[in-house]
Amino acid sequence: MRALAVFRKALREQLRELWLLALLLSLAPFFVVLFAVVFGAGGWSYRVVLVDHDEGALLADGRPLRAGADLAGAIAEVKNAAGSKPLRVVPAATHDEARAMLESGKAHALVEIPQGFSKALVAPPPAGASRPQLVYMGDMTSTSYMVAAVLAITAVSGYLEQAAGVRYPVELVEKPLGGSGGRSELDLALPGLFVFAVMLLIFPVAMALAREGESGTLRRLQLSRVTSFDLLAGLSLVQVLVGTAAVLLAYAAAVATGFRSQGPLWAGILVCVVATFSVIGVGLLVACFSRSVTEAFVLGNFPLMLLMFFSGAMIPIPKTPLFTLGSVTVGLWDWLPTSHAVSAMNKILGIGLGAGDCLYELVSLLLLSAAYFAAGVWLFRRRRLCAA
Amino acid sequence: MSAAEPIPHPPGAALCAEGLCKRFGGLVAVDGLSLQVRSGEIFGLLGPNGAGKTTAIGMMTGLLRPDAGRTTILGMPVDAGDDGVRSRVGVCPQQIVIWPRLTCMEQLVFMGEAYDVPRGIAARRADELLSALGLQEKRDRLARTLSGGMQRRLSIALALVHEPDVVVLDEPEAGLDPQSRVLVREYVASLARGRGKTILFTTHNMDEAERVTDRVAIVDRGKLLELDTPDALRRRVGGGDTLELALSQDGKILSEESIRGLREALPGAQVDARGLVLRRRAIVEELPAILDLVRRLGLAAGRVQLRESTLEDVFLALTGRSLRE
Repeated sequence: MRALAVFRKALREQLRELWLLALLLSLAPFFVVLFAVVFGAGGWSYRVVLVDHDEGALLADGRPLRAGADLAGAIAEVKNAAGSKPLRVVPAATHDEARAMLESGKAHALVEIPQGFSKALVAPPPAGASRPQLVYMGDMTSTSYMVAAVLAITAVSGYLEQAAGVRYPVELVEKPLGGSGGRSELDLALPGLFVFAVMLLIFPVAMALAREGESGTLRRLQLSRVTSFDLLAGLSLVQVLVGTAAVLLAYAAAVATGFRSQGPLWAGILVCVVATFSVIGVGLLVACFSRSVTEAFVLGNFPLMLLMFFSGAMIPIPKTPLFTLGSVTVGLWDWLPTSHAVSAMNKILGIGLGAGDCLYELVSLLLLSAAYFAAGVWLFRRRRLCAA
Repeated sequence: MSAAEPIPHPPGAALCAEGLCKRFGGLVAVDGLSLQVRSGEIFGLLGPNGAGKTTAIGMMTGLLRPDAGRTTILGMPVDAGDDGVRSRVGVCPQQIVIWPRLTCMEQLVFMGEAYDVPRGIAARRADELLSALGLQEKRDRLARTLSGGMQRRLSIALALVHEPDVVVLDEPEAGLDPQSRVLVREYVASLARGRGKTILFTTHNMDEAERVTDRVAIVDRGKLLELDTPDALRRRVGGGDTLELALSQDGKILSEESIRGLREALPGAQVDARGLVLRRRAIVEELPAILDLVRRLGLAAGRVQLRESTLEDVFLALTGRSLRE
């Protein structure tokens, strides 16, 4: 009854704080659209700058062979499992020009076809003789280079097998994990953004409670029969609703920009709702140390940044393994509940795995969310709801 | 006094504070304050700024944990945070405490529900309170759009919506215009006189205290200085009559020597560079002698005011005239 009254009151206040509500509901969809624009709904495009020094050669039947140009075409035609072409070939006249493009970030990888490429295919050099070198170049620390290089090497390998008439003793077969084969990079990037929608709830939680403290209404509630449970349950319920609405809006924006979920939406919502409780816990902790709404807003940015960047919601974060527990590798950022939420969302909505395949993430999310929420409630009660 | 020890609660007392002490760092805010508020009376807690009134109220209502001492309200200990006590006490803090983004009606109903008052009953009481405090027309307006005086009245209404037996008001008339002051004063008085509520309020406004209270306690520096009816205090401490005499010396303010001379000749008089204030019973009979003394000291008498002592005279006699903040 009292919790319901607090819920009604908090909901009214939330609905009347339009700028904050608009921010909460629109920021994640905005980023979804932004990602779609930046990545393109069809997936990533890796730029390969290509320098073709090949002079060509004549085949035995007298026909000309332009293997360099053919290889460039083969690289451009590489398809991923979704059927889209992830490589864009950008020609360059000289090595220096191509290198400059690589250094300026205009290309992810450089492929340099040697002068005698066609000749080597027509008449392969004898064993022991020097061979023309087809050179790959790129920033070894860049994942974009690695992806571009692997795709280009696959194309080169396939072309050489066909052109040289060589048959490898084994066939190389790539199999996608879950539904990842048909996924674009955008599809894989978006589930993390749904968790980001929930992370923003740090602000309304911290600001609402800081406002109650600043205006003295928290004291008024302390004097009434409203318990800590009533207050925090009513407030949390509002945030769960707002969070769910934000996730649904982000999802709708994602679908509108071409996102195809591989798992059921309800499972994603469930993960986000559980994550909401951890975010509410963080919001409570922020409120404990905020004497005003402004302080809550400023302080709230620190945990938001931490959650946003180190849980991989905005950009993929490599899992830095700390130790292994049975079959589970525990990473550096696994103490963040949202890390598990993002990972679970990627697995469920991104590549269509079932609950059994993300048991570690789900259990960790559940336990960590409970721990964060409990810590927030405990400290808030101690610092703000007990008699001074 | 240990927590398990039963607290004596005199019959007829609505609120009983015993030996309340509170220290904030090196500052002793309340120092052994004991008082009883009788059921159905209007009790004023008076004191200068920083005297410890709000801290005392905080301890009496359970918002502050006393370093020592206890309070019982209607026989129930306050420090236990018992729901029974909470339901029977209404507190209006010193500052305006409202929810700016709720309408007057919404927040009154919410406050009622916070005390487990059924929604329908809370709504009816809210309407009554809004009418009684002149806010009926603002019923559905967001509280943040109200004027300061209206917000103050709403803040008072929030303390009353659950029909408490004991109402604690911390400076309820602060920031109100004269019309609102009268409205609030009359409403608060009606709660006690007509409905048997016990009212404890703090104020700086001696006129308000004198008009409304049955008894007053004067506190300063955390200690209880006097507790009695306003009439008794006027007679006992105020001395019955007050003489205010403006003085000058060669057209200027009084010298230190003259001030000393007046203080020695008139024990109990408050003397400063502009004149003196003297409280005595039947002071009119002493007036010729006082004027003679003034002449002998070479001073010129200005405006003379002779009147019955007020509670303000009592207050100033007990707490002095120097500024506290």
